[in-house]
Amino acid sequence: MIDLFLHAAMLMTTPILLTAIGGMVNRIGGLVNIGLESMMLAGALAAVEVSAATGSVAAALAAALAAGAILGLAMSLVVTRLSANEIIVGLGFNVAVAGLVRFLLKSAYGVSGTFNPPGVVMLARYDFPVVKEIPVFGAIVSGQDCLTWFAWFMVPITAFVLHRTRIGLRLRATGSAEATVRAVGLKPLNIRDASSVFAGAMAGLAGAHLSIGVVGLFNEGITGGRGFIALAAFYFGRGSPARTALGAALFGFFDVAQIRLQGRGIPAELVQTLPYIIVIVVLVGLGFADVGRSRGGVV
Amino acid sequence: MTEAAGVRIRVGARQLSRRFGPVVAVDRVDLVVAPGTIHAVVGGNGAGKSTLMRILQGVDRPDEGSVILNDAPVRLTGPADAFARGIGMVHQEFMLAPPLTLLENLILAHEPLGRGGLIDWRAARAEADRLAKIAGVAIDWRSRVSDAPVHVRQVLEILRLLYRGVDVLILDEPTAVLAPAQVTELIALMRRLKGEGRTILFISHKLDEVMRAADAITVMRAGRVVATTTPAETDKARLARAMVGEAVEPARIETRSRRTAAPLFAAKGLVARDPGGVQRLGPIDLEVHAGEIVGVAGVSGNGQDELVASAAGLRPIASGTIVFAGTPITNASTGRFRSAGIGYLSADRAEEGLCLVASIRDNFVAGREGEPPFSRRGFLRPAAIDDRAKSAMAKLSVRYRRLTDAARGLSGGNQQRVVIAREFDREPKLLVATQPTRGVDISGIAFIHQRIAEFRDREGAVLLISEEIDEILALSDRIIGLYGGIVVGELRRAEASVEKVGRMMLGQKAA
Amino acid sequence: MVAAFAAPFWRVAAAAAPFALAACIGAAVLAATGHDPLAVYRLMVEEAFGGQRRIAATLTAATPLLLTGLAAAIAFRAGIFNVGAEGCFYLGGLVAAVLGYVMASWPSMLLIPIALGAAAIVGGVWLIGPALARTRLGVDEVVTTLMLNFIAVDITSWLVNGPLLARGSANSATLPIAAGAELPRLLPPTTLHLGFVISLALVALFGLWERLTAAGLRSQMVGLNPRFSRAVGIDVPATLLSMMIASGLIGGLAGAIHVLGLVHRFVAGFSPGYGFTGIAIAVLGRNSAIGIAVGAVLFGALSSAGATIQLFSDVPIEIVEILQGAVMIFAVAKFGAGRRRGAAPA
Repeated sequence: MIDLFLHAAMLMTTPILLTAIGGMVNRIGGLVNIGLESMMLAGALAAVEVSAATGSVAAALAAALAAGAILGLAMSLVVTRLSANEIIVGLGFNVAVAGLVRFLLKSAYGVSGTFNPPGVVMLARYDFPVVKEIPVFGAIVSGQDCLTWFAWFMVPITAFVLHRTRIGLRLRATGSAEATVRAVGLKPLNIRDASSVFAGAMAGLAGAHLSIGVVGLFNEGITGGRGFIALAAFYFGRGSPARTALGAALFGFFDVAQIRLQGRGIPAELVQTLPYIIVIVVLVGLGFADVGRSRGGVV
Repeated sequence: MTEAAGVRIRVGARQLSRRFGPVVAVDRVDLVVAPGTIHAVVGGNGAGKSTLMRILQGVDRPDEGSVILNDAPVRLTGPADAFARGIGMVHQEFMLAPPLTLLENLILAHEPLGRGGLIDWRAARAEADRLAKIAGVAIDWRSRVSDAPVHVRQVLEILRLLYRGVDVLILDEPTAVLAPAQVTELIALMRRLKGEGRTILFISHKLDEVMRAADAITVMRAGRVVATTTPAETDKARLARAMVGEAVEPARIETRSRRTAAPLFAAKGLVARDPGGVQRLGPIDLEVHAGEIVGVAGVSGNGQDELVASAAGLRPIASGTIVFAGTPITNASTGRFRSAGIGYLSADRAEEGLCLVASIRDNFVAGREGEPPFSRRGFLRPAAIDDRAKSAMAKLSVRYRRLTDAARGLSGGNQQRVVIAREFDREPKLLVATQPTRGVDISGIAFIHQRIAEFRDREGAVLLISEEIDEILALSDRIIGLYGGIVVGELRRAEASVEKVGRMMLGQKAA
Repeated sequence: MVAAFAAPFWRVAAAAAPFALAACIGAAVLAATGHDPLAVYRLMVEEAFGGQRRIAATLTAATPLLLTGLAAAIAFRAGIFNVGAEGCFYLGGLVAAVLGYVMASWPSMLLIPIALGAAAIVGGVWLIGPALARTRLGVDEVVTTLMLNFIAVDITSWLVNGPLLARGSANSATLPIAAGAELPRLLPPTTLHLGFVISLALVALFGLWERLTAAGLRSQMVGLNPRFSRAVGIDVPATLLSMMIASGLIGGLAGAIHVLGLVHRFVAGFSPGYGFTGIAIAVLGRNSAIGIAVGAVLFGALSSAGATIQLFSDVPIEIVEILQGAVMIFAVAKFGAGRRRGAAPA
């Protein structure tokens, strides 16, 4: 019982984790990406299309990554070069891309809402013969797909890159002190755009996991607000890959829990509010800490 | 490091001029800075020091004359060019990334790379320690800039210049943000760098430190070089005179002070912090009586901002009490301070004294828009506002086209008059006036001083905070020296002089 | 009262530019999928404004946008970046729907104002939290109000799927409201209802309020320069708090009017993002009453035309969303210099 639960939780966590890591990197670079939902959606659709068309999972993942990356770059350019408000642009992208996706499905394929082409190749799952018998641990480690592995590997890799490489250092500087970065001769806007491309790509892959990793088709509601849950996760994580992963795992856990607990008196929708409540609690907590430090008063 | 040993002028200027419209900011300046020396450039506000430094640093270009490097005239194409030639500047506002560590800030954009393209932290650390040793300071490289105190950040800025191979360091008012003990450390650092063969050029108006640290001093006033000397050949009094002009006592406003017996404004045990939470003021006791002007003399950074914020009710104080017109108003809201009768002339006209994008009329009525006669039952009464605004502007001879024009269209002097017009129209009992004539021309200054004196004659009280000794001397009935956040002395009008006030500003007892 | 920022021509041009750019993007999408953009656009304009019936449909579609646009504008003008109108819309709608059938026996004259009032109050109270977090703790209101949207949608979803579910109803909806709770139709057989008049009146009232009242001036000053405002004695935190609450009141009211006037019950998902569209309207309209009214009508036209053209052509209705999203994006792009508050990363 527990095993099935944990296995499902891992599965549900993957798209949130991928997107959250991307969003975290983007935020470290100075852009709060509200449009991740649109990038997940595009990735989900691209993966299904290419997988059905070519029969190749690798091609499908590449397409999903590219779709997300392109949207990420487009959004970032509007914010950095046209000085547009990132929140509204993000919301606008969500609306426009959702409409565009449905529009294309109707125009190109004549389908409304669900796109289920024949020949979709799913992500393979990898079992480890001995390990999978081990309780708990086996359920977590065995039977997962490559994107899940990739997502979890990205946690230490991101931490490593952020603190041990040039690009990581410059990214951290860009998000916190744009003028300083410019003063030392770097190009902060380019760095920020690059972080958006990364975020878009990760979100695209997350979308691919939702479509060809779990359900095998595309549905217009497939992302289900996970872009915003990922936002909750990286706000919770506040720039630390490990904490962000913890948040994503927590929310994945809640997601599965509320499905299981349905009919046992705990309403699903209220469980769904938990990520958002946690973000508010974290922000308010930080606010209290700030005020305690300086009695200067705020406007 | 550049080969600079044999030259006479490591960096300097020859007949350098720079104009901004009709204003001559730098006027045929000659500057000679020998290699391996500490050279101070002193002068008051508007003397041209900052403009000159910007030109030396390559940020700005001269209209006439040239920058000299290693005895030869050069044309710098920009700050990167100056950097490449070994010249770098530490600004008053530090260019650091707060959440990153000191080490990360040091190496940003010039990170040493090791195997596989990763940052070679060991090499970075070794270099950082080496620089710290040269500077003779102990730095915790792993701590964050946001946790580091200001003087440590300043040292970091200096070390960053060294890391980049700069050997001419320009420091802009480096001691403005430092406590006395830290100033001593900074001077020691400068001497150690000099011992290493580097050249240091620093701007200051703190004559005490200039006399202690500099090998050579250039005094500027109104864009010109008025004196070149060394500490051995001069003293602070002479420097002060050179900075301010001939030792002519500025014209006093000749009217009688009508000071009442009981204080109108009384602060006791006042302690105040800056927005970052650091204590900058206090504990001090301060009284202002109706019918008197109390001038607070002191160089910025000694607690004036906090005194202003406390007296005008802009920020809560850390401890102490404030009693106004017999009623305690400690930590009351700004609105309460205003309605009790305290007016405020901000030093930051553009961001706090005015709302530049709003109309003159809106700037005038803001803060009182809900009170009669400007509104009735919540509705604005435009005719009443206009009438009042027009007459208030007329009293201050403000030159404007229409009341509905945006305030930013006015000249600086007129903008200041609008602010004063508003404050006087509110008929305050106490006026907290901060740099009331900054950016105003000579005739405007006289006009404004006259109005302030008349206010005092009408039994108004004025707390005047200014960096201009002239202004303090011209207006004040009583002068208080503020240094390091505490009151170091008090002078009556009759016994005050430029020299005595200057000494108070430097932290010395008046007499 | 307000200083002239720029000549009127440029302001109109600046407001029209995003629509023009969005139209270009939409045209590209249409052309790429084998449609004739000009023909489609002409059809849309006809469908939106051709004849009394169609205009009525446009105005009906504009009704919720008038108030969500106003809710956003009143907050933005004071410098508080509230994106939580959607959540207030949901809460207000549910409250009005429930009162609408619980108080079925009450006379219209009482029932309608009470339902509207209660909905508004709930919306206003909902935003007190983020308002206080901003004024007392300096917590950025963008993220907190954004989160509250989702929480509100989930809470109302739970209520309507559970305790408040209409018996015998397959989808998540409440019981229909009593006939006495319905806002009267203005132009039968069109669905244009009294709510349109109420909303327009409120927008107009806002226009008067911002120009003629002391509170309006105060709010504007705080939005333009809070530091200056505090220095002259304006109570900045109180102003921010009151404008945020007003924003919530209007958002709640918007939802209530939508329920009582048009859909006559609360259904999960009954707002296709009205709150977010309202944000775009406020930005495009530069927080002014006229701008909000025009923007609401334009977006209403877009949505109503889109709904009908898919009956007469094979252009999917989603072209509307594409255009809406594109307008939102370009509405905040600055082609040149400018100042605008962005969300603050930590």
